[in-house]
Amino acid sequence: MSEKPARAIKLNVINEPKDSYTGGPSSLCPGCGHDQISTVIINAAWENGIEPHRIAKMSGIGCSSKTPAYYLGQSHGFNTVHGRMPSVTTGAYAVNKDLLYLGVSGDGDSASIGIGQLIHAIRRNMDMVYIIENNGVYGLTKGQYSATADVGSKKKKGPANETQPIDLCALAINLGCTFVARSFSGSKKQLTSLLKAAMSHKGFALIDVISPCVTFNNNDESMRSYSYVKENEVTLHMADYIPHFNPVEEIEVPEGHFKDITLHDGSTIRLETISEEHDPGDAMAALTALHGAESDGKHVTRLLYLDASKPSLAEDLGLVDEALLDVPDEVLRPNQASLDALNAEFLA
Amino acid sequence: MQREWGGNMLKGCMRTPTPKDAPTVPEKRMFRMGTIINDFTINIATANGTGSQSANLILLQSLFDMGVPVSGKNLFPSNISGLPTWYIVRLSDKGYQAPGDRTHIQVLVNPATWDDDLAALEPGSVVVWNSDTKGKTVERDDVVSYPVPMSSLARKINPKIAKLVTNIVYVGVLAELLGIDQTCLESAVAKQFKGKASAVELNITALGLGRDYCKEELTKNDPYAVEAREVTKPQFFIEGNEAAALGAHYGGVQLLAWYPITPSSSLAEGIINYIPRLRTDDDGKATMAVIQAEDELAAAGMVLGAGWAGGRGMTATSGPGISLMQEFIGLAYFAEVPSVFWDVTRVGPSTGLPTRTQQSDIAMLYEGSHGDTQHIVLIPGTVEECFEYGWRAFDYSERFQTPVFGMSDLDLGMNRWACEGFTYPDEPMDRGKVVREQDVFEAFETFGRYLDVDGDGIPYRTLPGSGMAPILYRGTGHNPMGVYSEKPEDYYNLMQRLRMKIDGARDALPAPVLREEAECEVGIVFLGSMENSIQEIDDILEETGLKVSQCRVRALPFHSDVEAFVRRHETVIVLEINRDGQLYGILRRELPNDLVTKVHSVAYSDGMPPRARIYAERILATLEEVNQ
Repeated sequence: MSEKPARAIKLNVINEPKDSYTGGPSSLCPGCGHDQISTVIINAAWENGIEPHRIAKMSGIGCSSKTPAYYLGQSHGFNTVHGRMPSVTTGAYAVNKDLLYLGVSGDGDSASIGIGQLIHAIRRNMDMVYIIENNGVYGLTKGQYSATADVGSKKKKGPANETQPIDLCALAINLGCTFVARSFSGSKKQLTSLLKAAMSHKGFALIDVISPCVTFNNNDESMRSYSYVKENEVTLHMADYIPHFNPVEEIEVPEGHFKDITLHDGSTIRLETISEEHDPGDAMAALTALHGAESDGKHVTRLLYLDASKPSLAEDLGLVDEALLDVPDEVLRPNQASLDALNAEFLA
Repeated sequence: MQREWGGNMLKGCMRTPTPKDAPTVPEKRMFRMGTIINDFTINIATANGTGSQSANLILLQSLFDMGVPVSGKNLFPSNISGLPTWYIVRLSDKGYQAPGDRTHIQVLVNPATWDDDLAALEPGSVVVWNSDTKGKTVERDDVVSYPVPMSSLARKINPKIAKLVTNIVYVGVLAELLGIDQTCLESAVAKQFKGKASAVELNITALGLGRDYCKEELTKNDPYAVEAREVTKPQFFIEGNEAAALGAHYGGVQLLAWYPITPSSSLAEGIINYIPRLRTDDDGKATMAVIQAEDELAAAGMVLGAGWAGGRGMTATSGPGISLMQEFIGLAYFAEVPSVFWDVTRVGPSTGLPTRTQQSDIAMLYEGSHGDTQHIVLIPGTVEECFEYGWRAFDYSERFQTPVFGMSDLDLGMNRWACEGFTYPDEPMDRGKVVREQDVFEAFETFGRYLDVDGDGIPYRTLPGSGMAPILYRGTGHNPMGVYSEKPEDYYNLMQRLRMKIDGARDALPAPVLREEAECEVGIVFLGSMENSIQEIDDILEETGLKVSQCRVRALPFHSDVEAFVRRHETVIVLEINRDGQLYGILRRELPNDLVTKVHSVAYSDGMPPRARIYAERILATLEEVNQ
C-alpha cells in the first residue's frame, strides 16, 4: 500500500487548524443567513489567532442565540434568557475580564425584550463583541414582526407592518457606542474584516448584520409559491411545512457603491457600502448616512463609527490588575485582624 | 413566668395636667411607690426628613450605653420629606424587643398626626408636646401633660435650622424627665455625628436647652424612670443590613450587582462603604466589583454571569426585585449556577407598604421561578446571623451549585439591634466541585458537566477560559454531558437529580434553634425577626399555664430537626408575619401525613413589627379551637 501524501493542514499564527474553531451541526433552516455568520465567526477567530478556549460565547434566546452551539466548540458559552445576554456577560466580565466575550443576539432579543440591557451595556462600554443577526422577524415562534421590521413588510398572514422600525446602529451611535458597524450575512468578506476589527476593539463593538430569514420573512410573492404548494400538496401537514430555499447569495459591494440583492422570496434589498471617504470618527456623518439611506430605502454597510479613546468598563471598575477569578481566596476574604478591629471599634 | 404589665401598675398613678407655673421639681428626684423603671414605651411622632431620625438614634444609643435593654423601631413613610414618622423606643429589663402593646410616653411634634396620636393614648399616659405647634394643644385631662416650646427653644440656637434642632430638644426633655445620664447622652451625640465638632456642639447645646427647660418649668409628675444596668457582656448596636454587608465581605464577594430598593439599599451600600477598608490593595485597587444595574433583571443576570465565570456574585433586593428576577432564578437552578440573592422583605403584594415589615416572600423564594424548583433559603433572626449567613451563603451556593437566598426583613435589616460582636469564619471558603487543574480533569474517566459522579446529585464543573470540557450552558433541557436534549429519560433524570441535590442540603444548612420545655405541650415554629418578639409571646402564653417550646427555623429546605421537633410536641403552631401562613404551607406539605394534623397556622400581618400580645392572643384562640 502506498502512503498517501499527508495533506498540509493550514494553521493560524498560534498553530491551530480551523477545526479548532468549528462547532456542532446547525439546526437552523437550510440556507439561513445566520449559518453564514457562524462561518464568519469561525474564520475571524481563526484568522485573528485567538486561543479558542479564551473566548466566551454568549447569547440570549431565539434563532440567532442558538448558533453558539455551531461554532467555537472549544469555548465555554452561555445561552442565557431572552434579551438578557448583556447582563450575564457583564457579570462574567467583572469576574474574568481576560476573556474575549463574543455575544450573538437577534433583533427580537436586542431591539425588543432586551433593548434596555443592550443600551446599558453600551453605556458601560463593556469589552465585548455584540453581533445582531437581524432578520426583522421572530423565527422560532413562526414569523411575527420584530421591532426592526421595515414599514410595509408583509408576512404570510395578517396585515403589513406599519410600525416604525428601530435602527440599532443609529441608536448605538447616539448612545456613544465605541464601535458601530452594519453588514450583510452574504457579504462574508466585509463581515469577516469587520468582525476581526471588532474582536480587537477595546470597548463595546456592535455589528448589526442584516440576515434575512429564509422561511418567514416572506412577502406576497413567496406566499404565492407557498400557497401553490399548499393547494397542490394536500397531504402535507401544512402547519409544519417549512419551505427551503437556496442560501442567501454571497455579495460584496465595493465601497461607495450599492447593489440590489434579490432574496430567496423574490424581494430585493439595496445595500450600499458607505464610501471610503466616510470618517468613522464622525458620529454626525454616520447618523446622516444612516438616516439618508433609510429614506432612500437602502441599508448602509461598513464601519460606521469608531471611538477608541473611551475607557472601557474594566477601567471604570477600579479593580486589581489580575482578573478577580485569579485572586486567591485568602486575599478575597479579609483577615481575622480586620474583623477584630471592627468589633473593637463597634464596642468602643 | 408572671409578666408585669405597665398598664396594671399605672392604676392610681393618673395625673392631672401640670400647669406651667407649678412648683419646680425638688432637687432630689423622688421615686414614689409605683415608680416604673426600665419598662415602658416611648412613641415619638415627627415628620419625615426633619432630622428626627438622628435625634431618636441619640436617645436610643444613650439608653443602650446606660446598659438599659432597649429597642428602637423606625416606622417611616415611603417619602423623602413631610409624611408622618413614628419612632418607638421600648425599654424592658426583661429584654423584650417587640414594640409594646401601648405607648406610655408620647412625644408630639407632628401636627399632622397629633389628634390621632393623642386620642390613641390610654389614660395615665405621658405627653411631651411642642407647645409652639399652631392650633394644637393637649386637652385631655387623663394624661400627664408636659408642654415644651420646642420651636422657640430651637430658634434661640439658630433660627435657620430650628426645625432640625427641635427634635434634639425633646431628647433633652426626655433625658431630664427620665434621668438619662448626661455622659451617655453626649457620647451618643458624638457617635451619631461621627465626632464632627460643630454638629456635636450644636446638638449638645440643644439637649441642654431641653434639659434646662424641663428642670425649670416642668414638675415631674409621672412614674417613669430610667436606671443604669450592669452589662455583663459588652454589646453594640448595628443594623441587620450592615451586618449582612460585612458578612458578604468575609465571604469574599467578588461582584455586587444591585438596583436600589427599600429596605435593602443599605445592605448594598454597606458593602460599598467597606470596600476601601476591607477590599482594597495598597494601590487603591479593589478585589471586588460593584455594578449598579439598570434594573433587578440585569442585577440578577450579572450575578449569574459572575457565578458562571467562577466568581462569587450577589445582589441585594426586596420582594418586588425578586419578582423581577424570577426568570434568572430558574435558569440558575436549572443550569446549576452559583448565585446569591439577599431579599430584605417588605410588605407586599405589589408595591405594598414599601417601608413596613413582613415575612411574605417565603414561598416565592423557596419555589422561585416557573417549573418545578426548590431553593436554599437562609433565614437570619439576629444581626450575628445576618453576618454569618452573609458569608455562608456563598459557600452553600458554590457547594450545591444553586441559587441561595438570604431572607432578612425590614425590621431586622433597617433597625438597630444589640450585638456582642461578629465571629470570624471558622472554615476556609468552600468553592465546591470546581475542577481547576488539568491533571485532576484528566483523572475523570468521563467528564460531563451534569454527570452525578459522587451520587450526591452535585456534579463537577470547569470554568470558562480553562479549556477543560467546554460546554454551552443553557436553560433548555440537557443531558448529563450538557448537550441539548428533549429525551424523556434525560429530562426526568435531571429533575430527579436536582431534587436529590437540594434535599441533600437539608442537614448541611443551619439547624433550627430549639428552646424546649420538658412537657412538650405546645411547640411554636417560627422564623427570622420574630426572634425579637418570641420570648414575650412565650411569656404571655405561659401566664395561662401552658408550657411552650420554641423552634426557630433558620433555613429552607427544613432541617430534619424541625420534623423531630414537630413529632415530639402535642400541638405545633407555625407563627409568621404574613396573611397566608406560607411557612406553614411548606411544612405541611413536607411533613409525613401522621404529623400534619397537629400542625396549625397562626399568621398575621398589619405592616407593624410583631407586637407580642396580638400574636399571643391568636395562638391562644387557635389552641382553643384545636382543643374543642
